[in-house]
Amino acid sequence: MTDSVSAKPEDSALVRVRGLTTVLNGKKVFDALDMDIPRGKITAIMGPSGTGKTTLLKHITGQMRGDAGDVMVDGQSVSRLSRDKLFELRERIGYLFQNSALLTDFDVFENVAFPLRQHTQLPEVLIRNIVLTKLQAVGLRGAAGLMPSELSGGMARRVALARAIVFDPMLILYDEPFVGLDPIALNQVLKLIRTLNQTLGITSVLVAHELEAIKQVADHIYLIANGKVVAQGDPKTIANDGSPWTRQFFGGEADGPVPFQYPAGDLAASLGFPGRGA
Amino acid sequence: MSQRPSYAVGTGLFIVLGFAALGYLATQTTSVANSSRGPSYTVQAHFANIGQLKERAPVKVAGVRIGQVQSIMLDPSRETADVKLAIDQRYNQIPNDSVATIFTSGLLGDQYVGIQYGNSKKTVADGDTLALTRPAQQLEEMLGRFFGAGGAADNLSGSYLVKARFTNVGALSAGAPVKMAGVAIGSVQSVKADPVKLDAEVTLSIDKRYDQIPDDSAAAVFTSGLIGTQFVAIQPGGSPDMLKNGDEMVLTQSALQIEDLIGKFLVSGSSSDKKSPDAGKPDAGSKH
Amino acid sequence: MSVPMSRDNIVLRSLSQIGDCGLFLLRILASVPRSLRHLRETVRQLWFVGAMSLIIIMVCGLFVGMVLGLQLYDVLSIFGGTSATGTVVAIAIYRELGPVVTALLFAGRAGTSVTAEIGLMRATDQIAAMEMMAVDPIAYVIVPRFLAGVIAMPLLCCVFCALGIFGGHLVGVSWLGIDNGTFWSNMTATVDLVKDVINGVLWKSVVFGTVVSLIAVFQGYTTPPTSEGVAYATTRTVVASSIAILALDFVLTAFLM
Repeated sequence: MTDSVSAKPEDSALVRVRGLTTVLNGKKVFDALDMDIPRGKITAIMGPSGTGKTTLLKHITGQMRGDAGDVMVDGQSVSRLSRDKLFELRERIGYLFQNSALLTDFDVFENVAFPLRQHTQLPEVLIRNIVLTKLQAVGLRGAAGLMPSELSGGMARRVALARAIVFDPMLILYDEPFVGLDPIALNQVLKLIRTLNQTLGITSVLVAHELEAIKQVADHIYLIANGKVVAQGDPKTIANDGSPWTRQFFGGEADGPVPFQYPAGDLAASLGFPGRGA
Repeated sequence: MSQRPSYAVGTGLFIVLGFAALGYLATQTTSVANSSRGPSYTVQAHFANIGQLKERAPVKVAGVRIGQVQSIMLDPSRETADVKLAIDQRYNQIPNDSVATIFTSGLLGDQYVGIQYGNSKKTVADGDTLALTRPAQQLEEMLGRFFGAGGAADNLSGSYLVKARFTNVGALSAGAPVKMAGVAIGSVQSVKADPVKLDAEVTLSIDKRYDQIPDDSAAAVFTSGLIGTQFVAIQPGGSPDMLKNGDEMVLTQSALQIEDLIGKFLVSGSSSDKKSPDAGKPDAGSKH
Repeated sequence: MSVPMSRDNIVLRSLSQIGDCGLFLLRILASVPRSLRHLRETVRQLWFVGAMSLIIIMVCGLFVGMVLGLQLYDVLSIFGGTSATGTVVAIAIYRELGPVVTALLFAGRAGTSVTAEIGLMRATDQIAAMEMMAVDPIAYVIVPRFLAGVIAMPLLCCVFCALGIFGGHLVGVSWLGIDNGTFWSNMTATVDLVKDVINGVLWKSVVFGTVVSLIAVFQGYTTPPTSEGVAYATTRTVVASSIAILALDFVLTAFLM
């Protein structure tokens, strides 16, 4: 981490993204993106579909590497870590997948115990205590014996959350945690995110579209589009900053800086009316 | 997974079963099953001709396996094959004047050493030699005697042509050898059907060296070996006149169905053999 | 793993697939030491690909042996050689039918399920989740399945062959009346431990097991994580495995003769 880069709003950022540029299939996903994720806060990343929010999370975890620029997590440049160092870093990061990604071979208990079994030689009693504590935290201690196929979407998400926090990580990345949840399950997950952040002080990064939910929980919001941060701030200020991006996104307008039409040629020409343009 | 997972037991069983199957295949269905497992002693025997005898071939007494052929070496000084037999220690009562013979199991089977007990009170011991042996009966020789077959055709250095008529040539084709006393003396030049006489006209090309064949000799279509190709055998007659170019042989014997022959041969020859009932099936040939 | 897009030509496409497959094999082999920690997972996979394939292998082995016994008895009776039925059944099964049929069945039974399983694990982000939990998916998912296939295949082949011999014996001796002693003694007199059992059963099945397992995990791991991608990969596992088995069978036979 270079000190010449001034830490912008917070005194200490856990994740710093500097000048990140990534080209995927000829399309520039990130164009010199700068972003700071403050320590101990809940940061939401929003933006139109396809702007690479999930891709950004993958850069933070080192699953993808940018073509230029840098991603620093807790002072370490992710793209320059060796595989072993990267795996060490990942043990301190929890990641909640969009579709929970529970291992279908194992029951709930074993799913939560999986990281412990893979990385530690803890005695069985201790593993059991840790797992049941985490399951209790997400309210699913009674479901320990169920298989993933027997869980509802909300329950699976909570189990995945229990698994993500089993090592008490410094950072949790939530990839679309509210998708497909009924209002009750959504509120449960929302409450969990807040509780985990407040009680354990876990820095949280949220990628989501649910505006109301995010307003309730996020401390800081980044709005990205076209590979850049187009707006940022806490939920109140960002909603009122008046830029066309925020107006369209938070106002839910169909047309705006994000066009309704996918780029295409002249409609008349496509429909085969020659000469009209002439 | 504090308790032993159930699949671990099943997987263990699977592995044990696989290795058991391998052990079964390796020891019960291969020649390993034949190798003597107990202690054995070695006896030598010298044969004039071992035929197709191979190492590890069985050694039998009264049809019961008592050991196997350990090694086969040529004795360079005596033009005999030096065969070492490893005989199970249990069978240590073999008289030392017993006869070792090389037999063939069935018609086409492998060869083995059979020991026929003698009358001596003394028994053979480790390192002894069985003095009395009988060499392998070459099936070809037997059949050769039976049919008059012989060796390969000589290089021809000029020949004369003789015709012969057969009512049935079997599978005889051009190029087949012409033999006398089992020795090739020429070849079949052509096989044609005669449209008038309704028989087969075979032109034989006979080497010039063999120009002393009486003109009343008989020509017969034979089969070399059991399932070999057919050839023309010439059995010399007693006439003072010799065959000349363009002559026709009057006495001919057409092809016999080999299957019939074998049937007769086997039924009369070795009825104790297990294969004979099948080999001798009279209808066997008709399935071709 | 991916190769530039000039994959229109089927020859080029096949070659690049084979190349990718070979590179994948190197990755697998490099991960074998790391996967030793997941020995329990290998045992579990051995249960799924090996023990669970036993029934089909045993039933098929039995019937192959029986039909061979029947056919060979019929043909050999023409030559009066029915006593050689056991010999020919054993040699045919050991040298060709055992390894080849077992491998084809194995590709259909275990290979497809491995491909589909890995493909679905990708599609449902389970592979990515392992990456995120700092667990190497090659070492944890791929290598155990690969090793299990390599180990299971020769064992299954031995079981297949044993059942095949039993089937041949059942038809030849119990039904058609070949003498029991003749059946076995002719077999033991001719069948050779090295040439038939070791070269035939063991060598071939180890090679086939390696190839089928490699194809199965490769197709599963590289498939596009969609439902049609998984379906397509499963098909390709069977097709590629079958071709590879039969082609390699020829090569191996030529070399081991």
